[in-house]
Amino acid sequence: MWWDVTDPQRADDSIGAKDDIEMRLGANLVHLPIVRSVAVNIAMRADFDIDAISDLELAVDESCSSLITHAAPGSVLTCRFTIGADEIVFTATVNSPAPSTPSTTTFGWRVLSTLTDNVEAWAEPGTDSHHRIHLELTKLRPVVPG
Amino acid sequence: MPLFDELAAMDSDDPRHTEIRDKLVTGHLPLAEHIAQRFSGRGAPKEDLVQVATVGLINAVDRFEPAQGNDFLSYAVPTVMGEVRRHFRDASWSMRVPRRLKELHLAVAGASTKLAQQLGRAPTPGEIAAHLEITKDEVYQGLEAGQAYHAMSLDEPVTNDGDGMPLGESIGQDDSGLEGVENHEALEPLIKELPERERRILALRFFYNMTQTQIAERVGISQMHVSRLLSRTLSRLREDLVQESDQQP
Repeated sequence: MWWDVTDPQRADDSIGAKDDIEMRLGANLVHLPIVRSVAVNIAMRADFDIDAISDLELAVDESCSSLITHAAPGSVLTCRFTIGADEIVFTATVNSPAPSTPSTTTFGWRVLSTLTDNVEAWAEPGTDSHHRIHLELTKLRPVVPG
Repeated sequence: MPLFDELAAMDSDDPRHTEIRDKLVTGHLPLAEHIAQRFSGRGAPKEDLVQVATVGLINAVDRFEPAQGNDFLSYAVPTVMGEVRRHFRDASWSMRVPRRLKELHLAVAGASTKLAQQLGRAPTPGEIAAHLEITKDEVYQGLEAGQAYHAMSLDEPVTNDGDGMPLGESIGQDDSGLEGVENHEALEPLIKELPERERRILALRFFYNMTQTQIAERVGISQMHVSRLLSRTLSRLREDLVQESDQQP
């Protein structure tokens, strides 16, 4: 199934950089340990420090949980990791009946913005009168003094 | 204890600081071994106990304040015992984990604590590997093995370990720090129900913006333990919030 991606900025559905890692899972909380462990593995291999590794894991858990709660029944959770020299960007996407993105004034948002360096959420029209809800987290490699 | 006075008077950047600290820790190792011995025969391997007791000893050396007039031993014994008790309380493995992985996990946790103290920040897996002279893959295995640690019952009362929580370091109290959070009315009672230590760690991370390594040092547990507790607390709050919103008409 192809999604109608209308935002040209976000339309690059190819695995552009060869290092990108994308997973598709049922939008169900039971799959979260898999996503978490991939997140940990990626951050460890990038040799992020152990605080950053754990923060990314917690943030991935929080963001996916939040999206799954809003996902249409039976829909797919898409998780994508883009690994740069000094950052890991995690984007999670679900189909939702409502176009609303997670509110930036909730405790969950506070958690995400504390654990990562940047959080963005956006919605776009999808198929079958559904909406595509995206959450994107950026975790920078901590600067080592000296 | 002249060495302790010397250590207390010294800047932590002083190269002799590490030297004296090492000397104090090494000199008191028999104490850690003795306490570990007292807890043997309860199913935990002796080496693990010695390792845990040694972590307690290092904490005791770092936190002891000679100016307060107490002698080191009367400070160190309860600190080390507390560490070993916590080990029994928190560190049961929820599934059969090969012994080698448990050892790896403990070694990685110990090295993380030590390196964090030396570096003043969280170490990377690469640094831990170099320190332990093992491969990075083994560090990954050691970190991952921690996932199998049994999450102790959330309802278990957490005893106050004697380090009283400074005022304002908790949330869900009068000065909740939750103003401006949209769902704070639903959240506040849930946070109040958390065990004291979990509530404090949550506050230090999300309201005081301390790193996990800083929290570990403040609370006196390993960073990996802080990580596990945060993970469990966040998932508990999420579940409770979902239940609550389901109950609303």
